[in-house]
Amino acid sequence: MTAPLQSDTVLLPERIANLLGLSGVLGDVVGGLLGAFLIANLLLVQTAVAGPWAKRKITAAFTDRIAVNRIGPFGLLIIVADAVRLLSKELVVPEHVDRPAWDLGPIVIPFSALLGFAVIPMGSGIHLADPETGLAFAFAAASIASLGLVMMGYASNNKYSLLGGLRAIAANLAYEIPLIITAASVVIFTGSLQMSEIVAAQTEPLLTVAGVTIPQWFAFVNPFAFVLFVVANLAEVGRNPFDIPEAPTEIVAGYQTEYSSVLFVLIYLGEFIHIFLGGAIAATLFLGGPAGPGPESLGFIWFVAKIWAFYFFTQWMRSAIPRLRVDQFLDVGWKGMLVLSFANLVLTAIIVGVIA
Amino acid sequence: MSLEEPRDQGTDAVATKPTTGDEIADLLGDLVVSREEHVNAPGFVIRPDTVQETLSRLRDEAGFDHLSCVTAEEYEDRYESIYHLTSYDDRTREASVVVPAAKDDPRSQSADAVFRTADWHEREAYDLVGIDYEEHPDLKRILLPDTWQGHPMSLDYDQDRPQVVTLKEWENPLADDHRENEGDTMYLNIGPHHPATHGVLHVKTVLDGEQVADVEPDIGYLHRCEEQMCQTKTYRHQIMPYPDRWDYASSGLLNEWAYARAAEDLNDIEVPEYAQIIRTMGAELCRIASHMLAVGTFALDVYGDFTAIFMYAMRDREIVQNILEDLTGQRMMFNYFRLGGVVWDLPEPRDEFFEKIRDFLDDLPGTLEEYHDLISSNEILQVRTIDTGVLPPEVAKSYGATGPVARASGIDYDLRRDDPYGYYDELDWDVVVEDGCDNYSRLLCRMREVEESAKIIQQCVDLLEDWPEDERTIQSNVPRTLRPEDDTEIYRAVEAAKGELGIYIRADGTDKPGRFKIRSPCFSNLQTLAEMSQGEYIPDMIASLGSLDIVLGEVDR
Amino acid sequence: MIGLLKSMATTMKHALDGQTFTVEYPDVAPEVSPRFRGVHKFSQERCIWCRQCENVCPNDTIQIVQDDQRNGEQYNLHIGQCIYCRLCEEVCPVDAILLTQNFEFTADTKDDFVYNKEQLKNVPWYKDIDPLNSREPDRDAWIGEGDGEVDYQ
Repeated sequence: MTAPLQSDTVLLPERIANLLGLSGVLGDVVGGLLGAFLIANLLLVQTAVAGPWAKRKITAAFTDRIAVNRIGPFGLLIIVADAVRLLSKELVVPEHVDRPAWDLGPIVIPFSALLGFAVIPMGSGIHLADPETGLAFAFAAASIASLGLVMMGYASNNKYSLLGGLRAIAANLAYEIPLIITAASVVIFTGSLQMSEIVAAQTEPLLTVAGVTIPQWFAFVNPFAFVLFVVANLAEVGRNPFDIPEAPTEIVAGYQTEYSSVLFVLIYLGEFIHIFLGGAIAATLFLGGPAGPGPESLGFIWFVAKIWAFYFFTQWMRSAIPRLRVDQFLDVGWKGMLVLSFANLVLTAIIVGVIA
Repeated sequence: MSLEEPRDQGTDAVATKPTTGDEIADLLGDLVVSREEHVNAPGFVIRPDTVQETLSRLRDEAGFDHLSCVTAEEYEDRYESIYHLTSYDDRTREASVVVPAAKDDPRSQSADAVFRTADWHEREAYDLVGIDYEEHPDLKRILLPDTWQGHPMSLDYDQDRPQVVTLKEWENPLADDHRENEGDTMYLNIGPHHPATHGVLHVKTVLDGEQVADVEPDIGYLHRCEEQMCQTKTYRHQIMPYPDRWDYASSGLLNEWAYARAAEDLNDIEVPEYAQIIRTMGAELCRIASHMLAVGTFALDVYGDFTAIFMYAMRDREIVQNILEDLTGQRMMFNYFRLGGVVWDLPEPRDEFFEKIRDFLDDLPGTLEEYHDLISSNEILQVRTIDTGVLPPEVAKSYGATGPVARASGIDYDLRRDDPYGYYDELDWDVVVEDGCDNYSRLLCRMREVEESAKIIQQCVDLLEDWPEDERTIQSNVPRTLRPEDDTEIYRAVEAAKGELGIYIRADGTDKPGRFKIRSPCFSNLQTLAEMSQGEYIPDMIASLGSLDIVLGEVDR
Repeated sequence: MIGLLKSMATTMKHALDGQTFTVEYPDVAPEVSPRFRGVHKFSQERCIWCRQCENVCPNDTIQIVQDDQRNGEQYNLHIGQCIYCRLCEEVCPVDAILLTQNFEFTADTKDDFVYNKEQLKNVPWYKDIDPLNSREPDRDAWIGEGDGEVDYQ
């Protein structure tokens, strides 16, 4: 194939390069770096809000409590306080851990998740790269996190960590396949793995009810696939009821049992970005990406709203749904989700084939 | 009166089974060396090498299928183990088997072959008193560390001897970690610091993959010498604050009642009816608080994260605690009972207090409905808990399981009905029995018991409201110093939140008990953990542990 | 599936109704029942030095020092060790020792928790609740006398 790696739409690096008046290789490099820097920071800010503040507030709302409200308006400055607190803690390195794998694991997790965001169109022109294989890249990048989990689990020299690491692999194997198969059913509609194409395919109106136009988001076109995808996604990001790799009451904290201070923060950071990435992929595939009412420049707002909705959903699940046992979890993955996702794929293929 | 029909198989059986001391003595024949009379039951002194024979004959032919407690003690001239036997079918039938052992070489046959529960009870007796139980499967210390020198409750024990063991002398704590290098199993220390052990419990687990091959609870981290402390306090006042601290998870009044019942029967103290009603009401409030905590923490174990149901349970428990605070002046460490009654009448204004309780009772059905929505009707929770942690009734009986743990295994056994005390037999309520024998049944059993307790409280409030003002006697006349006769022995139990909480007291003629033994329900219930979790997955083992609802303060005492 | 949805609906209902059951503690004082047993208050004027409280105390929290004439010299109470059983108040024939409803106390070291008779005297009355009367309505305490300040540090 000789198709260009980049599509015709103007991407963020190009804009930055144009803005700075740079061109050629230098423009690509500087634009790319600055773009990546911008996107990473956008996500880190969101994670900072999500971790120390939103998570507490949401859980508190579900459990009839007040939660953080002492520092700053709505307790928002707890983010700063927590950052200082967490970073100033002692980094305890247990004896006999397998370094450098032990140190690298926590770094792999947030970076793999951040890497996935490179191909996500976030609206308002924030889109770092748009390769033809965008969707495959996003999944591939997100899956690298499992490597980090296994590294941490194995290198920690702790039995709980080992169990957590093993569970993480099992979880990944069992749920990655249904996740991707379900995503493939969307690709059947769009005929492209390119993220911008997938988003573009969802802009058409599906039907108009009483003057309200419902767009052709795949969540509306194929709600079954959407539900499957969200469930598989919960398992993929390791949230309730599928938080088997961590399972605090069973294996203490799974792979992260031995981590403290900065490395602990990195792991948490990675997990939150991972949830956001899961939400971002779901939003792109099923919820029209940055689409929403209002001018196109509001796209980023809509996009953020969608990934936060997914984040909120994971927290809701956490409060409401018990965790499955590890064997039941795998049963659901291999015997339930896999079968259903293949059925969905085949049916979608037939329907699309018949209609088209 | 309980609404339940009197169990007919019970009446038939009792007619043929020996009940009086003479009948039992006839059954045992030559095994009995001499007779004793305890306040609660006839005592039979037997030779130390005939323990198994005696106990199995009593179990099989006389229906004494519940070894409630094993008490050990050292006298000036001998050691003595007392096996407190009773029957699951008829709690009022009791017998004490007294086994003296030689002073210079205290050996006694183990009862483990007859009653599995004797395993831990005899280990405790060995640990604290120093009697050597022969044929015991694994006689080692249970509450104290393995390096401990001497037996603290023996007469010649030197209290001042330092028991410091340096790390070098101590067996390498990590050595255990690498047991069975060749095998396929993995040894895992769950606890003493683990999110799901409900306190400082250490569960030595052998895993085969994710499955539990073997489990051995290691207890004693919270041992506070409660028995010995009670032996140094006076009956009249000083012991009463301590029962609150055995099962400290808000079932204080139930524990206080255990001591109050034993000490009142020992000293022939009558309790005014009015005080009995207040006691009954307070105790049931405690039971609700305790069960709320049990349900909440069990959900926490299964849900696995800091979840809504735990907080909702805590919130509702908080209401109960506020009521109890109004009544007793403390939220958990009540010290509200006194021998011969309670310390105060209900708080003034009484209407407001009754209103508060009634509001709580009115809201309770809605609250429980919410719990059912959140927990018991949740399919994932059902998948997790049904048919896991199975405890068949015969096994439960052999381990001396009581309380909700026994009742969820289909054993219809509740001391409030079977051995009535307080005001329970005047009230209308039911004993909750579930047949599932699994974690789910234990959960349901507790939730239904909350409803029954609410019924009891409701009736108590009605009674108290209409009680004539000049008959509100809260305490009977009790002498300032109590000196029960020398060598009077009594074993009395009440139905605490976790099961049968029994107190054995031997008076020695002073104003302090000569021997004070606590039969903790959690101690016996925890023993069943290995039985329930072998072959199951780790999460189920954790869930089973949660469903037992142990409080380590009571296990270790 | 219905059970799962019910669980989700129940939690969401709680999230949306906006009710909370926790209180903003230092800003909002938690409700303390009038019978609550907290830090002790002692009146030397009343005390007849009969030492009954010292005797009844189950864990030697109270220490009384007397001179040769059996006049009281010291009255020390280790509130860090106290189990708040209120037996001292119960046996006191002259209501010289009371348990107020104060539940807040801090110290840097354990030793600071040993209160002498002056410190015990200065424990303030809590919201003007008469602790003795609230527990036993036919008895009244000396409320109003010897009001001190709490040093929360």
